[in-house]
Amino acid sequence: MVKRLGAINSAFYFIVWLAALYLLATVGAGNLKIFWGNLFYIDALSALLIFTTATVTFAAALFSVSYIATDLAQTKISAKKALLYYLLFNLFAAAMFLVPLINNLGFLWMAIELTTLISSFLVGFYNTRHSVEAAWKYLIICSVGITLALFGAILFTFALATATGIKSLNWTDLLAAANTLNPDVIKVAFLFILVGYGTKAGLAPMHTWLPDAHSQAVSPVSAMLSGVLLKCSLYAILRYGIVVAKCCGFPFYTNLMLIFGLLSLAIACIFIITQRDLKRLLAYSSVEHLGLIAIGIGLNSPLALFGAMLHFFNHAVSKALMFFGAGRVAQAYGTHDLSKISGVTRTLPVTGFAMLAGIFALVGFPPCSIFISEFYLVSAAFVGGHFLVGILLLGLLAVIGGALLYHFGKVLFGKPPEETVSPSEPLGGWLSYGFLLIFITGLGIFIPAGLRQSLDAVVTILRGQ
Amino acid sequence: MTWLLLFAILLITAETALVTRFPALLRNFRYQSLCLALLTLLAAYREGSIELYIIAGLLFSLKVLLIPHLFDVLIKRIGSSDHLGLFLNAQVSLLIVIVLGLISWYFASSVVAAPAYLQQLTLSAACFVMLTGIFLMVSRIKALAQVIGLLLTENGIFLAATVIPGGMPFFVEIALFFDILVSVMILGLFIYRINAIFTHIDVSKLSGLRG
Repeated sequence: MVKRLGAINSAFYFIVWLAALYLLATVGAGNLKIFWGNLFYIDALSALLIFTTATVTFAAALFSVSYIATDLAQTKISAKKALLYYLLFNLFAAAMFLVPLINNLGFLWMAIELTTLISSFLVGFYNTRHSVEAAWKYLIICSVGITLALFGAILFTFALATATGIKSLNWTDLLAAANTLNPDVIKVAFLFILVGYGTKAGLAPMHTWLPDAHSQAVSPVSAMLSGVLLKCSLYAILRYGIVVAKCCGFPFYTNLMLIFGLLSLAIACIFIITQRDLKRLLAYSSVEHLGLIAIGIGLNSPLALFGAMLHFFNHAVSKALMFFGAGRVAQAYGTHDLSKISGVTRTLPVTGFAMLAGIFALVGFPPCSIFISEFYLVSAAFVGGHFLVGILLLGLLAVIGGALLYHFGKVLFGKPPEETVSPSEPLGGWLSYGFLLIFITGLGIFIPAGLRQSLDAVVTILRGQ
Repeated sequence: MTWLLLFAILLITAETALVTRFPALLRNFRYQSLCLALLTLLAAYREGSIELYIIAGLLFSLKVLLIPHLFDVLIKRIGSSDHLGLFLNAQVSLLIVIVLGLISWYFASSVVAAPAYLQQLTLSAACFVMLTGIFLMVSRIKALAQVIGLLLTENGIFLAATVIPGGMPFFVEIALFFDILVSVMILGLFIYRINAIFTHIDVSKLSGLRG
């Protein structure tokens, strides 16, 4: 019964994915969509986030089928709880799909808060000491963060109302009046926005909830947290950033993004080297990649922004694949402890192969898609004359790459512990790995004209042109 | 009258730094919310706006009656002791809160231009309430105090929203109320779970996840 439900769920998200693909193609070609009296607003940036969300959610739905069935078979959860999982999964996905659609910044705030509230149940799903602790920290830290973001939103509205007399929270109104806003108020307001939404986006040093939540959540949900949830919050920062750039010029906004990006990269580097838990390792790698995207935004040349937005998608698919693999490994070995896992390629050949490809992607080996986006970012740093940033970027990426390969070399190869049995690898797992691998390798070899066009449209929006 | 209510909010907020027991903290939250509701009611009367009357009514029913009541029920259910557990003692807390007040005043006077004194005071009171809420969250040990700290912070935000000429858009404000109610319920649920699993609600002992 639970398996059939999972299959229907996957079929539904496949249709959603097709719709998102259509949306990306039409909106990317320059067709803005505004409907329901300014309440919803879809441009290329929203379409990119919707497509990313749809891709990761479809893969997660596919992977959930066998994952939840295994949990059920191992009596970790009851059949009733499996149904609850699917309910929460759909609510969580719905909240994330809502984020990029909304024009009103107050409702945007609420949609992001809603994602926190729903996903906290998925983080604390197993009701163990660790998972409840992680869910509590996640709720409290993100609630404080998002409260600060709301204060930022109020300051933006205040600036708009005092400058123009318009009482509105619509992003389009704010952008239209950006030139008339008081830059001092906007600068302060943006600091609140950046710290507030940055907490949820996992930018260091506000990332402390992230490794706990990602490591304790149900694995398909970890993939959604890392692949999409962080980006929903980053999306909010980008929306405000466009207004800020138009109001007080780029350097203020982009320098802040550069600083937070480099800091995220550096802090992730330290924790990745010393990590002892498989899923936490992947969580810190998310901090690293979000930092990379922030650096791309901070460099602010068309090349860098193109790279950052490509990375936005590439990281989502690669990290989803790795979390699926980690989830399957944790089920087979009964632990996330790196020192107790070895020889995955022998016990779980399919997962082992998928994770090997995934780790090459995360580290940025050619021909994986992340190689292309990272190459864009690094070249943009040097071409733009940011030599220090470029050198730091290369150095930190090399260290992180080495550390990840070291950890995963031990996980994937070597002799498996004696008591481990090789479970069968279900079809849902195969399909979800395959689906993600198409993007991971495909986009490394060539970028379809449609996607390139959409990304160019996003770059134009981000540059405020 | 507005000045008086703002002053009351300032006093109540400063007093929360000295509070060591949970019922007193809850009472302070109740009084502060009441002042906020009255402030909104006053604005509603002055502007003759039905929307503001509704918001004042919601503030009163949710933040003065319903949410404190839910907490009373929760405390009875988990049977934890009343003590908040202070990382910093009351005197030091008060000193810090006073410094936070000065920062808020400086901040508000830099955001709002000089002749609008009422706006300045409101914004600085709002910041003060927010900062104090956040300060309580980090300096008190019990999980319940963190939730009240969050609610105080949100009160501060509502106060800040009154500074905007014409206020926040109505539906946004209604949705915010709904959101706060849901988040308080979920936080309460997790406190209940923490108490069931750990047999305490002492967040300083939640340290199983590191590195």
